[in-house]
Amino acid sequence: MFNFQLCGPIICIGLLGAASIASAAGETVQQDNTCFESRKGLSQVQQQEIKPGVMNVKCSPTTGGVLLWGDPFEGTIPMGDMSIEADYSHEEAVVKPREPQIDRNKLLTICSMACHNGEYVPYPENKLARPLKMHKDIVPDAMQLKHGKGAIWCLDCHHAATRTKLIDHYGNEISFNQPQKLCGKCHGQVYRSWRNGIHGKRIGMWQKGGKKRWWTCTECHNPHDVEQGNRNSGFAQLSPEPAPVLPKGMSNADHERGHGEQAH
Amino acid sequence: MSKQETKVKDANGATRRDFLRKAGTYTAASLSGAAMLLSDPKPAKATANVSWAEHFQKNYRLMTDEEKEEAIERLEKRYSEEFGKKVKVGSEPAIEGVLFGYALNIQKCIGCRRCVKACVAENNQSRGEKQQIEWIRVLRMEKGKFSAEDRDVHGYPEDYGIQVGGNAYKPAGVVLEGQHYYEPDQVPEKDAFYLPMQCMQCEKPPCVKVCPVRTTYRDPDGIVVIDYNWCIGCRMCIGACPYWARRFNWGEPDLPAEEMNPDTHYLGNRPRMKGVVEKCTFCVQRTRKGRWTGCVEVCPVGARKLGNLLDPESDVRKVLASKKVFRLRADLNTYPKFFYFMD
Ligand code: SF4
Ligand code: SF4
Repeated sequence: MFNFQLCGPIICIGLLGAASIASAAGETVQQDNTCFESRKGLSQVQQQEIKPGVMNVKCSPTTGGVLLWGDPFEGTIPMGDMSIEADYSHEEAVVKPREPQIDRNKLLTICSMACHNGEYVPYPENKLARPLKMHKDIVPDAMQLKHGKGAIWCLDCHHAATRTKLIDHYGNEISFNQPQKLCGKCHGQVYRSWRNGIHGKRIGMWQKGGKKRWWTCTECHNPHDVEQGNRNSGFAQLSPEPAPVLPKGMSNADHERGHGEQAH
Repeated sequence: MSKQETKVKDANGATRRDFLRKAGTYTAASLSGAAMLLSDPKPAKATANVSWAEHFQKNYRLMTDEEKEEAIERLEKRYSEEFGKKVKVGSEPAIEGVLFGYALNIQKCIGCRRCVKACVAENNQSRGEKQQIEWIRVLRMEKGKFSAEDRDVHGYPEDYGIQVGGNAYKPAGVVLEGQHYYEPDQVPEKDAFYLPMQCMQCEKPPCVKVCPVRTTYRDPDGIVVIDYNWCIGCRMCIGACPYWARRFNWGEPDLPAEEMNPDTHYLGNRPRMKGVVEKCTFCVQRTRKGRWTGCVEVCPVGARKLGNLLDPESDVRKVLASKKVFRLRADLNTYPKFFYFMD
């Protein structure tokens, strides 16, 4: 392993173990009864019966995306306090915790205990950017951070000492379950729309006062690659559901593809 | 003999049961319309099982509460037998003080068609190769093809003279009108945006104006609904709708029992028969019980919003207040309650 000389045998075993868990988890994402909500691979949900004859989710047979929620609040927790009062303070707001999705291969937990415990690897003295010496493979996004066009780096969002937490402007910890508190630091206008319920996604009861499940930022966006390559849309590309069946007697859809080159 | 006559008889004080008993003695020719609907060469269950009583029931809007109950009980029994599970047919009326409105963020839509498929799963449309009915269609819109090579630098083409008005004879910048059948591996594509369309629940719906039997009408919450049992399949509404929102069951609907959603509404997603028109109802079976529609919930990018237009705090009103909004074909004075917006 690339870091063999840098660590003692016990810790190396820990790392190797973590790495193999990681790859195993990567492969099992596409199990038969696993579907995804918004981000493929990072918003997975297991299909199961919640009441006789009622599934928690109904999924698309072609893309594995969730189509319907039998219970829109399954597996959710209260959204928790927000710094600014908004509408949802008057109604029940729940979210799906992000920690199990982000820590699905237990890397986060293992790393923060095994190495980044302040002793073996000392905590960084300050949060100034510096080249990373390790982890090029364990945290694949880290070396190709596409967020902020070079103006920010890891420790602007991640807690320098507590690796299982994010960080606010004052150095306080933010849970991975409340990424909106972190993203709202810079993206104020989007944050405001999100709080108003017109940016982002909610499911459940539309009525005022009705219980709602809110999607948090990282359920749709990849914070390490928000620009998503050249499309610049904020969303990772997905496979679309199949096109409609062609009308009877029509063999292809060329009629809607031409630019009129032959027409005149 | 017609439905008209049924109504007259009812007005004269004869009970429905009287009428149905007498119906047996009417000449065969007088029932030919009904018989035609029931005489599919290979009758599938859905249409064949429509009972005489169901076929001759009143327009839903004119039924008394008792008659509604009777009709719903009849339907629940038929559907439960047909699909082998307990089917519920709801009759929830419009909620007082609610006018439904919809807002769709075309800047966000990635064209994934999840809404289309979720709608089919929720609303019991016919599926499969033979007869596929989808209430939502997503159009792929091109951003235009412009290049220096395509530019016509000559102005008036010499051979044609000035009378042609100086058209450019090369299609630089020609934008396709919208593609229904796009099939890239991945969406969103770099050079396209997407425009989903469905019933706009017009406040002045042309489809309602043309319906000769008034089986499609606007309910007080602004949803335009259809009593499928009273639909004669003339398809006038399909011609009148400027948004291409209505679909016709040309054949026997193909709805596998295991995929059938048993939580239905009389005016919404209950299974349809051959020969009737259907369209989006803003998931009346959900929204009248407070739940968001299937398409709002499924959209993986949160492009779809639904709420009460009469409540300034609702999602839709907040969109109207703070975003750039437009409606399709506003010039037709149909007053759609389906708004498109951008951030
Ligand atoms: S969009 Fe078409 S079907 Fe819907 S209410 Fe308007 S005219 Fe009627
Ligand atoms: S589900 Fe949302 S993003 Fe996908 S096509 Fe429908 S509106 Fe667009």
